[in-house]
Amino acid sequence: MSRKIIIDPVTRIEGHGKVTIHLDDNNQVIDAKLHVVEFRGFEKFIQGHPYWEAPMLLQRICGICFVSHHLCGAKALDDMIGAGYSTGVSMLPTPEKMRRLAHYMQQLQSHVTAYFYLIVPEMLFGMDAPPEQRNVLGLVEADPDLVKRVVALRKWGQEGIKAVLGKRMHGINSIPGGVNQNLSIEARDRLLKGEDGLISIDDVIEYAQDGLKLFYEFHEKNRQEVDSFAEIPALNMCLVGDDGNVDYYHGKMRIVDKNKEIVTELDYHDYLDHFSEATEEWSYMKFPFLKALGREAGSVRVGPLARVNVTKSYSDDTPLAKAALERFHDYTQGKANDKTLHTNWARSIEILHSAELIKVLLNDPDLQKEQLIITPPKSAWTGEGVGVVEAPRGTLLHHYRANEEGNITFANLVVATTQNNTVMNRSIHSVAESYLGGKTEITEGMMNAIEVSIRAYDPCLSCATHAMGQMPLVLSVFNAKGELVNEFVR
Amino acid sequence: MNLSASDLASSLEHFSLDQYNNNSSLIYGIGNVGRQDDGLGWAFIDWLEQEKLCDKAELVRNYQLHLEDADLISYKKKILFVDATKSKGVKTFEIEQLSPKMDFSFTSHAISIPSIMATCQQCFDYLPDVHLLTIRGYEWELQEGLTQHAQHNLTTVIDYLKREVG
Repeated sequence: MSRKIIIDPVTRIEGHGKVTIHLDDNNQVIDAKLHVVEFRGFEKFIQGHPYWEAPMLLQRICGICFVSHHLCGAKALDDMIGAGYSTGVSMLPTPEKMRRLAHYMQQLQSHVTAYFYLIVPEMLFGMDAPPEQRNVLGLVEADPDLVKRVVALRKWGQEGIKAVLGKRMHGINSIPGGVNQNLSIEARDRLLKGEDGLISIDDVIEYAQDGLKLFYEFHEKNRQEVDSFAEIPALNMCLVGDDGNVDYYHGKMRIVDKNKEIVTELDYHDYLDHFSEATEEWSYMKFPFLKALGREAGSVRVGPLARVNVTKSYSDDTPLAKAALERFHDYTQGKANDKTLHTNWARSIEILHSAELIKVLLNDPDLQKEQLIITPPKSAWTGEGVGVVEAPRGTLLHHYRANEEGNITFANLVVATTQNNTVMNRSIHSVAESYLGGKTEITEGMMNAIEVSIRAYDPCLSCATHAMGQMPLVLSVFNAKGELVNEFVR
Repeated sequence: MNLSASDLASSLEHFSLDQYNNNSSLIYGIGNVGRQDDGLGWAFIDWLEQEKLCDKAELVRNYQLHLEDADLISYKKKILFVDATKSKGVKTFEIEQLSPKMDFSFTSHAISIPSIMATCQQCFDYLPDVHLLTIRGYEWELQEGLTQHAQHNLTTVIDYLKREVG
């Protein structure tokens, strides 16, 4: 008798995604799918609004990576008014560095949240541990000193974002052509030296290394399980600077294969010339792929693992992250790393990289300069803009058009989780085969293994569904007639 | 300690906003003003600011609690959280003194006050005095502004506390 297993919802109570696994008569996996069943309509309801509202409104799609949406939208608006990269205009140093600073701070904070709050508990307690232990409150009881350091890191990231963007959440600093404020000496010194309960940037860098240490220890003890868990070959994509290494704020889109050979490199303004999107009736989330290679071969991975695969080296002013990246590269001897759980290794490297990049920027006197904005003449108006940044979860694209009155007529958002859609589905299929295939009884640990494969991508199914712990997961088993024959609830 | 409506008057003899008018106190409004009566917590903070009450205390508005709030409360002696409730058991408003409890309510979007207190105790080896003022709300739809009933409940709280202050 064939069976159908449903995990619904995968993430939070509101329930925006579910997993179905189809087993044949021998309990072998026939199919596995991640269904994204939310529909939010941001691209539609922004239409008719003044163009300058887009980065303010559209960042509210997310409570975690709102800075990425804000900056991506701001870059698109730079294009629109004739002050962006598409028009050959270079942003002034101060606004670009302010935006970069906010971007790195958000990456630090977002990665710290995903890694320490959601992933580390599983690393320490195991996938089979009960959900009430396998979350950050379990971590509080097991290692309060670690949690104290993580809380300090998050707090520093939040205070940094507030200092740069004006608000802890959904900031208002980036405007078309620049920013509306620089960083005061007082704010800079507070972030550098730490005061009023805030740690210093040197402490941030020290604490940021905790993530790497935890991964190394976990990997040492569980090498076989970690390395064989959902090893999914895929192309890797991220923005790169002129040196060919990741640039989180701006660059060309580079795609590399398993040998790290460049498959293609493109100006992101030409994204639609190179990519197409497939749809499936069972999910609202599309499946982007490179047209030249087709859907099967042309799907890409984005995010931390993709970025460290594309990047050959970090710069000398981020020495700790540079050394960590070299160790990461050595592990796969020059080949791209396709091990899904190594995404957490990559994420911990990027926590450190972000911290070191922030320190470099905080010491840059350009942040205190007064030239904050380029105001091109009205004749420079293009009415169309594309922005791309490397959000914590991967490559994020905003594309807008506006009419002559300046009202938005079109908006298209391609978020990192969408880019990862095919690879995530392949990961789920792989884990389902390994953990459920041939088994007659479905356990809590098996269910969680499926979730771990998804969580490694830190997907943003609905404005960051970073939830775990007491998720009301329901696993239902149906017979071939569609009748419920078993149900598992945790 | 949960206080029913009948117990409220006697308990409020010991509850005064004056206790919070110092820099070692924190008054923390939880909610979302874009969700009708979920804005009660923030509306209470608005009232304090308008009346210049407890102006020596730290006043905070937030959508929900975060684990970092364990750090925030570790610097304070007295904390008053103010939140809306849908509970029909609360007729108008309630005040309760809370105890730490690791109730494993955590998601990245929500965590309970007792869990914040327990985290503070575990990580910072310190436990402040924490009270929760809950005010009954009725509607949580996507709309700004309190319902008439919720506004009435807020006014009732304010009238009572004004008497205490006066």
